[in-house]
Amino acid sequence: MKKCERQEQFLTGSGIPVKEVYTAEDIKDLDLEKEMGLPGEAPYLRGIYPNMYRGRFWTIRQFTGFNTPEETNERFKYEHEAGATGFSIAFDAVTENGLDPDDPGVASDVGMGGVNVCTLRDMEIMFDGLPIDRVSTAVIGSPFSAGVLSAMYFALAESRGIKLKDLDGTTQNDMLLFTACCHLPAIIPPRNLVRLCVDLVEWCAQNTPRWHPVSFASYNYRENGLNAYQELGLLFANAIAYIEEELKRNRLKIDDFAPVLTFHLASHSDFLEEIAKFRAARRMWYKLLKERYGAQNQKSMIFRFHVQTSGSTLTYQQPLNNLIRAAYQVLAAALGGVQSMHATSYDEGICLPTEQGVLLSLRTQQIAQYETGVANVADPLGGSYYLEYLTNEIEKKSWDYLQKVEDNGGLVAALESGWVHRESIKAMGEYQRQIQNGTRKVVGLNCFEMEEEPHRVPVFRPSPETVRLQKAKLEEVRKNRDNQKVGEALRRLRDVTEKGENIMPAVIQAVKAYASLGEICDVWRELYGVWEIPVVAGIAV
Amino acid sequence: MNPQKRSIKVVVAKPGFDGHWRGAMIVSMALRDAGMEVVYMGNQTPAAIVESALQEDVDVIGLSILAAGHMMLISEVLDLLKEKNIRDILLIVGGTIPQEDIPVLESMGVHRVFPPGSKIEDIVDYVEKNGRAVKGRI
Repeated sequence: MKKCERQEQFLTGSGIPVKEVYTAEDIKDLDLEKEMGLPGEAPYLRGIYPNMYRGRFWTIRQFTGFNTPEETNERFKYEHEAGATGFSIAFDAVTENGLDPDDPGVASDVGMGGVNVCTLRDMEIMFDGLPIDRVSTAVIGSPFSAGVLSAMYFALAESRGIKLKDLDGTTQNDMLLFTACCHLPAIIPPRNLVRLCVDLVEWCAQNTPRWHPVSFASYNYRENGLNAYQELGLLFANAIAYIEEELKRNRLKIDDFAPVLTFHLASHSDFLEEIAKFRAARRMWYKLLKERYGAQNQKSMIFRFHVQTSGSTLTYQQPLNNLIRAAYQVLAAALGGVQSMHATSYDEGICLPTEQGVLLSLRTQQIAQYETGVANVADPLGGSYYLEYLTNEIEKKSWDYLQKVEDNGGLVAALESGWVHRESIKAMGEYQRQIQNGTRKVVGLNCFEMEEEPHRVPVFRPSPETVRLQKAKLEEVRKNRDNQKVGEALRRLRDVTEKGENIMPAVIQAVKAYASLGEICDVWRELYGVWEIPVVAGIAV
Repeated sequence: MNPQKRSIKVVVAKPGFDGHWRGAMIVSMALRDAGMEVVYMGNQTPAAIVESALQEDVDVIGLSILAAGHMMLISEVLDLLKEKNIRDILLIVGGTIPQEDIPVLESMGVHRVFPPGSKIEDIVDYVEKNGRAVKGRI
């Protein structure tokens, strides 16, 4: 007899059909020893440490930055005092594009979506009085600016007497993020970017063993509308592009650099599917490194990841509802075995987060850690018929999607041809259609809407003064530095870039001479030209 | 040719360097699907946006901003439109624009602001009804 159900079919957020109940039958092919194992053991499905959060909670690291480095420093101090256990720098679009605040046309963006940083002086100010010897930092630099911004952070650490081999942190340095997800109009082509990105990876693998020189950011691919398995497919395609670039140089072996690679995933709204995705990602990375690349070191096969709760699931309408969304997404990441996390603030559908928004994000994570009990046991949901079934499904579909990228020539070719952009455009269109036709429900948006907004929330406003302040500071730096040293450093950078040597020593030298970000990136723009994003060339619309 | 028969011509652009393109792309596709001629320009300076509106003789400019620079960037676009004496265009804006900024932008000369969560069909409908040139509306 057909049962009466509230909808014709039930699907996960990524469109995988869901039955009314799952039993042992659904996972009968799962080899418990080989495919599951224990937390801290291959294939790491159940977590990367045997006791997970019983040893140490995940790091609470809120993505932060606005206006000047001075003001961002104040916000970092506020977060640190409120119990944040890591820092994460959000740069403005000018910095991400490798431009200076006095470059033409940038004034309206300086300090707007993040903090403006253009010389080592700014980095020194931003971390003044903060314990970077004990608290790790994520430098969320674009693939173009990442090496330079990391070099500034390394120079700062050294000036404080911290040994680079002890320095703990991460650089974003993800090629796909800023070429397909967030568009940067002043950067060089992907095939040249990948070289800069991998130079940072290579240099860090040899000089800063506790620094993670890349955090592949499938968070941002997901924010473009892609689903959970497309997210993982592109994530591994991107990691493969970096690995292949390094291996073809014949300088390092897989186990020399794979241990420093890390990841940055989204936690979206389908609670159980997201948990399945995090678990599947660990097993996939293990297989990829062991089977395809013949890694021997277990550290090469361990998938370490940061999670950001999904900004694109937040609504402008009834904004306090976003607190609840973030809390569920935090819990999914915790149950999925995350290493560090940013809980998106409830007001981010409207503005950069206010201080109140950030405090609630910290508290959301602390409540999950200290009150819910989920941190007391490793992989608490492991063995659930549905979850294991879904983990297998996500894994299968992610491998298939990865294959599609490889069929399109691998990630760099797929980016330059516009294939990745077209995939995103298809996905965002489909997501929008689902909201329009009501098959994807969003509370406050296409159901339970209200005529009058029930909540009045304070709005954060970046300061229009920032551009003047940053320009003045840059002018002063230029006046007081040894310009001959800067010139020499930039000439050396051009030389090593052309010769194909690792750029990082020359970048560090330039940064220490207080060369600006824009001056350094101009060297590369002059050599390679600025990339025209294929979607703007008229492919899409 | 009867100007009423010509399809409405729209330029969609992201002034400045903010990279969030999803909203602008979704609106571009919806307007195209409704039969309009849409040019998606991506990130451009206000000067380049106005120049292209002039060259392409467009009916509508759609601007999308999600990095808080909307007040400055939109003022720049409006000043340039007036300077070039382009006064018959429809100017619409999308993105993370706080509620309280919407009346301010509309008093400056923006015809309509569509914040996040706006219904796509409402945007299409509005542009269909108001897209064709009206003299002196900027």
